[in-house]
Amino acid sequence: MLWIAIRMLTGDAQKFYGLVFGIAFSTLLITQQLTIFVNLIERGASGTYNVSNADIWVMDPVSRTTDVAYAMPATALDKVRSVPGVEWAVPHLRSQASVRTKDGDLEGVAVIGVDDATLIGLPKRMLEGSPDVLSQPDSVIIDDVGMTRMFPDGSPIGERLELNDQRAVIRGIADAIPSFTSTVVLYTKYSQALNYVPGTRNRLSFVLVGAEEPAQAKALSERIERETGLKAQTRDEFAQDGIDFIIENTGIPLNFGITVALGFIVGVAIVGLTFSLFIRDNIKQFGALKAIGVTNAKIRRMVAVQAGLVGLTGYGLGVLGTVIFIWSFSADPTFKGFYIPWQIPLISALAVFVILALTGWLALRNVLKTEPASVFR
Amino acid sequence: MGQPLDTTAIGGCNPEAAICTREVTRDFRAGQQTITVLHGIDLDIRAGELTFLVGESGSGKTTLISIMCGILWPTLGEVKVFGTDIYELGDTELVEFRLNNIGFIFQQYNLIPSIDAANNAAVPLIAQGMDRIEAREKAVAMLEKLNIGDQASKLPSQLSGGQQQRVAIARALVHEPRLVVCDEPTAALDATSGRRVMDLLREVAVAEDRACIIVTHDNRIFDLADRILVLEDGKITHDGKDMPEGH
Amino acid sequence: MALDWKNLSFSRQILPIIAVIGLIAAAAFILAGLPDRELSEPEREPPRAPEALANEARVAGSGVVEPSSETIQIGSALSGLITDLLVQPGDRVGEGQVLFTVDDRAARAQLREANAAIAEARASIAEARTAQATAARQLTLYRNVDDPAAVSRSEVIRAEGEASAARERRKLAEARLQAAQARAGSAQTEIGRLTVRAPIAGEILAVNIRKGEYVSTMGGGSQPFIEMGQTQPLHVRIDIDEEQAPRVALGAPATVSPRGAADRQVEAVFVRAEPLVVPKRSLTNSAAERVDVRVLQVIYQLPETEGLFRVGQQVDAYIAARGSDQ
Repeated sequence: MLWIAIRMLTGDAQKFYGLVFGIAFSTLLITQQLTIFVNLIERGASGTYNVSNADIWVMDPVSRTTDVAYAMPATALDKVRSVPGVEWAVPHLRSQASVRTKDGDLEGVAVIGVDDATLIGLPKRMLEGSPDVLSQPDSVIIDDVGMTRMFPDGSPIGERLELNDQRAVIRGIADAIPSFTSTVVLYTKYSQALNYVPGTRNRLSFVLVGAEEPAQAKALSERIERETGLKAQTRDEFAQDGIDFIIENTGIPLNFGITVALGFIVGVAIVGLTFSLFIRDNIKQFGALKAIGVTNAKIRRMVAVQAGLVGLTGYGLGVLGTVIFIWSFSADPTFKGFYIPWQIPLISALAVFVILALTGWLALRNVLKTEPASVFR
Repeated sequence: MGQPLDTTAIGGCNPEAAICTREVTRDFRAGQQTITVLHGIDLDIRAGELTFLVGESGSGKTTLISIMCGILWPTLGEVKVFGTDIYELGDTELVEFRLNNIGFIFQQYNLIPSIDAANNAAVPLIAQGMDRIEAREKAVAMLEKLNIGDQASKLPSQLSGGQQQRVAIARALVHEPRLVVCDEPTAALDATSGRRVMDLLREVAVAEDRACIIVTHDNRIFDLADRILVLEDGKITHDGKDMPEGH
Repeated sequence: MALDWKNLSFSRQILPIIAVIGLIAAAAFILAGLPDRELSEPEREPPRAPEALANEARVAGSGVVEPSSETIQIGSALSGLITDLLVQPGDRVGEGQVLFTVDDRAARAQLREANAAIAEARASIAEARTAQATAARQLTLYRNVDDPAAVSRSEVIRAEGEASAARERRKLAEARLQAAQARAGSAQTEIGRLTVRAPIAGEILAVNIRKGEYVSTMGGGSQPFIEMGQTQPLHVRIDIDEEQAPRVALGAPATVSPRGAADRQVEAVFVRAEPLVVPKRSLTNSAAERVDVRVLQVIYQLPETEGLFRVGQQVDAYIAARGSDQ
């Protein structure tokens, strides 16, 4: 019976393609918009995720994100080191500075000072050069966003910059996920960063902590807060803080929420209308089938199979479309690091399921209500 | 769902009868009013006969035929089809009883437009759960019996009205039901085609132990009946080989 | 639904197959594209708490290596040009060993002058003595002449006067001699002061002067001329945040590792805690920085290590906290 249902569905090519298009369009809209949304707001967490070693970030209690941080006195490092369960702790400096390029242009940059001895705080991968170049005097490592923004024409290696009246030589390129604002990032040693950043009383922005037992990072962060009076966030918490900061301070969630809702509504409208039109066209056939001796359960299964085929085809094409979209833009630096979180296709699958369940149920109601006796009229 | 039956009022059924109705009454609600469409119909339909059910629009013949083939519950009364009290069956059992015992020929055929003639004819077999290929073979055999074997792979829309009618007949007969119900089989056909269809029906449908009820008001074919039942205002007013005068 | 190749339908078979293949491809793309957020171990060893203290109460601090005598900044008592420099950085010197000498020509000239004066005074004394003796003999002669007319009274008086004058001259010359001797002594001392010697036995850590340079006692030059100290053994001065200070188990050993070689930890013996809590000297920041953090400084003695620690090097230290051993 089920193949008959599928034949009935595909027999009307117009409506079938309408249904598939509706589902595919909804899927594309929901998946693609959610993907861009998630990736955009996750840019708020890129500063946290770029540091691959730290289980816990310790900061002043008023600090909020990697970019909104209030500096601590230098002894905070020793305080954190004194907490049992802390395997290691290193200083981390993040600050804004202005840089004058060779052409004389002024560019705002983020200066990140990583621990002198261990270089903890650098991104995991380098695009060019090795982290060891920081041991040379006046060395900085630029991130790839900075490379494309400040040196669009060639390699920045060996270029000299003027950073707050100090000389800085680019000796490496880091492979990092850009921040929300795509600020150029210069990595340098902590002691060097102190020279580059105009002096304020305290300079230590963060203390990066490695836990004895990374699995118990949450408990350790609470202990650090208790014993030092500073604010300690696990890596995931701190990443979430960055995301929340973007959500709270921009209109992004609303805008994308509207688009996603539109995708859903368009899906419901197209699919719902087409599906109920399709069922209405076939109501006589369904009535005949019921009279001949097809149970309601089988009819339900037939409609379910029809919805399933439409859903599978449309959803597959929609997801494929999203993947092609993301893939084709992956070379663009704006989209660097964009990925499709595995939850999003599941969400859009759920949305497709809801759309089809809703419209299928509405259509089925008509079929089930049909008296078999109506075929004699 | 089954209505309580007043068994005391029912007389015994002839076990030979293909269909036996006793005291079948059917009411419809129209707002506050209750309209009684059938008034205590007692009928015995014999197997091996072409039985015509004739009546004006609104006489209740659609309701009666619906009740007799198990798709409409009577308000009162008892219906036995080949000895089975069909309204005592559960919902699903009733559907399966129809599937296994009754063949339907609808006035508008109600063929599925997106599958070919053979598959349309095979629908009851497929619904019974038979393998698709096997069901199709049987359906093609039935179509050949009805002389449209060469049209088996055509879609209904590619067939003429008479050919569609034959496909519908094939569908009604493919699973060898013991009761065949035809609703206005000739209404959409010209006289010649109509008679040919009736000949066909007589040929294939009326066999030992197989009953055939034809609902019609097409007077061109009354002479082909073995028995004519006339229904007027919910009552059987005539029962005989020929039509009464005045019709 | 069995596939019927002769009768393949685009919408019924090809499209769903495309969709399914697309889904599989998309799943592969999505799984392959998930960001790498795995935590990784640091490539270089960061300073870690010693295993014994890993999950114990502890206090961490950072500090600087210094000589056990602390650093002695050698100065010069007198200004002048350096005429001789006898040590270089890394030399071990004994107590009293000459480090450098300052130009002593002026002092030596004074000494020679004084010596000349001494000789001159001595000559004067001799002359006065001779005169005095002559006068005395004459007077004796006069006294032995009984005839008053033989010697005039005035002759006697003159002889008496001569004798007394010669005595006075001798006294004067003796005083001149003493003065000249004192001048010679003073010049001698000056010459000694122009030679700078090691106050204790130890190691020369830095030499900031060259032969021929002018050393001034007037200040102005910020660098000490020579820095030295006893580097056997070495000490470390650990800064501990004043908030943490009460928790330190004073007397317990400290686990110390140099910056950049965090895996080489040594155990250092407690020496003393400085009685004075001082403002944190920020080792990495500019001098202009204002600081409101004060630190307790605790001194530990480092064991003998082959050049692992050097004076002035920064170290990270972990010390047991009070009550952690119970």
